[in-house]
Amino acid sequence: MKRFMILALAAALVMAFAATAFAGATYDRIMKDKVIRVGIMTDSIPGAFYNAKKEWVGFDVDIANEIAKRMGVKIDQVPVSNKTRIGFLQQGRIDISVSNMTHKRSRDNSIDFSITYFFDGQKMLAPKGKFSTLKDFVGKRVAVMQGTTSELNVKNLLKELGDAAPKVISYQKESECFQALQMGRVDAWSTDSTILLGYSAQVPGKYELVGDFFSNEPYGIGLVEDDSKLRDTVNFTLQDMWKDGSYEKIYNKWYGPDTKYYFPLTEKIEMWP
Amino acid sequence: MINRYLEKTWVQYLCLATVTAILVYYFGWVFDFGYKFDWSVLYKEDPSYGEVLGGMLVTGLNLTVSISLMSSAIALGLGILFGLGRLSQFKPVYYFSTCYVEFFRNTPLLVQLFFWYFALPMGLPEGIRNFLFDQNFEMLAATVGLGIYTSSFMAEVIRAGIQSIPKGLLEASYSSGLTPFQTLTKIVLPLAFRAIIPPLGSEFLNNMKNSSLAMVVGVPELCWASQQIEGMTFKGFEATTAATVVYLSLSLTIAGLLTLVNWKLQIVPVKDRTMGHKFAHLLFWPFEAPFAFVAKMHRRMKRKRQDDFNLSRAQAARKAFLAKLSKVFGFIWKATFLICLAFLLFSAVYGISKFNFQVIADNIGTLLWWRFPQGDPNEILWGLGGLSFSIIMSVIAISVSFFIGLIVGVGRTSKNKLFLIPSTLYIELIRGNPLIMVIFWIYFFIPILTGHFLNVFWSATIALTVFTGAYLAEIVRSGIQNLPPGQFEAAVSTGLTYWQAMRKIILPQALKQMLPAIVGQFIAIFKDTSLAFVIGVLELTFVAQGLNNRLMVYPFEIYTTVAFLYFICCYLMSLVARRLERKLSTETFRLQM
Repeated sequence: MKRFMILALAAALVMAFAATAFAGATYDRIMKDKVIRVGIMTDSIPGAFYNAKKEWVGFDVDIANEIAKRMGVKIDQVPVSNKTRIGFLQQGRIDISVSNMTHKRSRDNSIDFSITYFFDGQKMLAPKGKFSTLKDFVGKRVAVMQGTTSELNVKNLLKELGDAAPKVISYQKESECFQALQMGRVDAWSTDSTILLGYSAQVPGKYELVGDFFSNEPYGIGLVEDDSKLRDTVNFTLQDMWKDGSYEKIYNKWYGPDTKYYFPLTEKIEMWP
Repeated sequence: MINRYLEKTWVQYLCLATVTAILVYYFGWVFDFGYKFDWSVLYKEDPSYGEVLGGMLVTGLNLTVSISLMSSAIALGLGILFGLGRLSQFKPVYYFSTCYVEFFRNTPLLVQLFFWYFALPMGLPEGIRNFLFDQNFEMLAATVGLGIYTSSFMAEVIRAGIQSIPKGLLEASYSSGLTPFQTLTKIVLPLAFRAIIPPLGSEFLNNMKNSSLAMVVGVPELCWASQQIEGMTFKGFEATTAATVVYLSLSLTIAGLLTLVNWKLQIVPVKDRTMGHKFAHLLFWPFEAPFAFVAKMHRRMKRKRQDDFNLSRAQAARKAFLAKLSKVFGFIWKATFLICLAFLLFSAVYGISKFNFQVIADNIGTLLWWRFPQGDPNEILWGLGGLSFSIIMSVIAISVSFFIGLIVGVGRTSKNKLFLIPSTLYIELIRGNPLIMVIFWIYFFIPILTGHFLNVFWSATIALTVFTGAYLAEIVRSGIQNLPPGQFEAAVSTGLTYWQAMRKIILPQALKQMLPAIVGQFIAIFKDTSLAFVIGVLELTFVAQGLNNRLMVYPFEIYTTVAFLYFICCYLMSLVARRLERKLSTETFRLQM
């Protein structure tokens, strides 16, 4: 028993030390170690995914690498999912999260966000020729992905259009939404339009985007709370990338007119004088 | 000196209270979690979404309960059917039941749910598919899938229960003139059910916990709701805690009900009944009374129409005709069964022959070892993933959890409160929650507590180990308690200490009894590695989903291959288990109906 108590005390002490080692500004740590740990998704085409050669590529991957390059540090890419990206940020497993996150005030309570680095909006993907306007989706079944903002957006839209009880089904993964659409379980799939483009490009000519954007999805880079040095650095880096055209280069590589996922660049990154 | 004090109960309680107080003080006031708790997300209206998010948990609970109830009913029905089918003398029924049980027991529920929901409708004619889709297909697929999965376990429990009935009892019942059907309903099933209530009960519990997987096919149940709240507010800690508390109270309720059933079924003389027994009898009286009444009436009416040994001519002819008729019906039934079986086999073979085998051939390497030697330098195990990853995870979890189970299981049988209470807490806390919740907890908590970040691989493996440890502990406990108490008394009276007696006398015997159960648990843990996909471990299911994501049009091929891979591994293990069971069983007689 004595031994047990000593063990318990020792464990408590170790924990206490571990807790103190925990604190410290993220920016200083990055600059000291010369490594930035970035959370990136693994299954979002063309944001970040494993290609046929099992390499990790995508728009987010390139943006993250560019930021690291400009900060003069090495990058450590950490795979995250829509379940883990926030936990990782809060616990310090990653320093920044470049993983298509819509900036919401409610989410800003938990973490910080950079300026918008990608502008997207929500649309509906449906079999070609079946629907022409958003109003046609009243009373139809729509697939969405869980843990994203798209579910409420769709529900609100359908309610506004006069659907008393919207039939919205949420799945865990993008691939599952698309499969549900393919097998006819749902009449449409709604999420950010670039993701929809990515999927419909796999079976050309079968699916189309219907109607206008019905929500704005400004993507921000997730940052640890209360580290203004890091936030400024990331924000300025994004603005610099926009100014010298390297942002556009990366953008065109993934979303340009020559790609499968053509998505015109309409908005501008906000520049501070 | 200190030992003598420690044998006193109040000292034990005092020690426990002190440790608890220190822990509460430390984590309540000293420890810095590095996280801002905000419990108001659960009960206040969220300004961004204009909704009280805690309400989702209530709707989720509602769904969890109804899925659990419905799938339990399905599982019990099918379980009895296939459990009896495995004892049938008609070989096709036996083989079919065996295939059914083996197949559904040895593939992960996750993969099965994907199959029922995504693949099956594609194989159905358009009309039926549309009809199904007009119903609540998510619920339907989840409930039926869950029911079928659980039924395969129940079938095994029921088969084992029936086979444990001594041969002499059967001979006696036949020789007293009962028909096979009467023997079954009046002798075998009542006795068997009494013996299998505890394992059957834990299957009900598992079924409830497994309902958390219904979220993968879009059913907004409890686990889904907590995930949803987390996704909307990024307050994962609060949402997960709320869900855990609800799951735990559900489990405890079910466990409590099962204890009552157990008390009700125990054969205890009226004067020896404890308060618990009385309460159980009182509680179940309203359910029991109508049946008892009907049975009494039935008996009374039946008694008058007894068969005479001296039949008249007409009676004899009628009897012969009826016997012939039943023979013909039996024949028709068998033929129909065979035709259905042939059709099933044919459509399975036909479906598989339509596969694009090139896709499987191209990607089998990915499924087996992901990008093994060419991984990034910061990837664990040189970029290993897929099936080999699942195997490594389960091997680690199995070997470590075995020792946890042994220690905690022995602690659970100890009389000393210092060991008993922490062991019980650990077991009940872990077993009362779905594995998916345990995975989330370990995943979020270890970094907060230690300040070190684990690879997802390690946190999933730790979660699996902790989870299996609790189950193994229960197996060890029942193994020890199954031994006659005289063994321990004899050992101690020869001068061995408690630990010596445990190590040299009790555990070797108990472990031998427990082996089949332990192997069964190992199979379960191998299948459960598929759940690690929720935190993004590159195991088989995750890799398959990634592949499916990229290839998009070959879900059948990929998921069939995955199910096949899981099946092979689990089936091999269950063969070992069966061989052990046969080797260790004292009675080799196989009961047949």
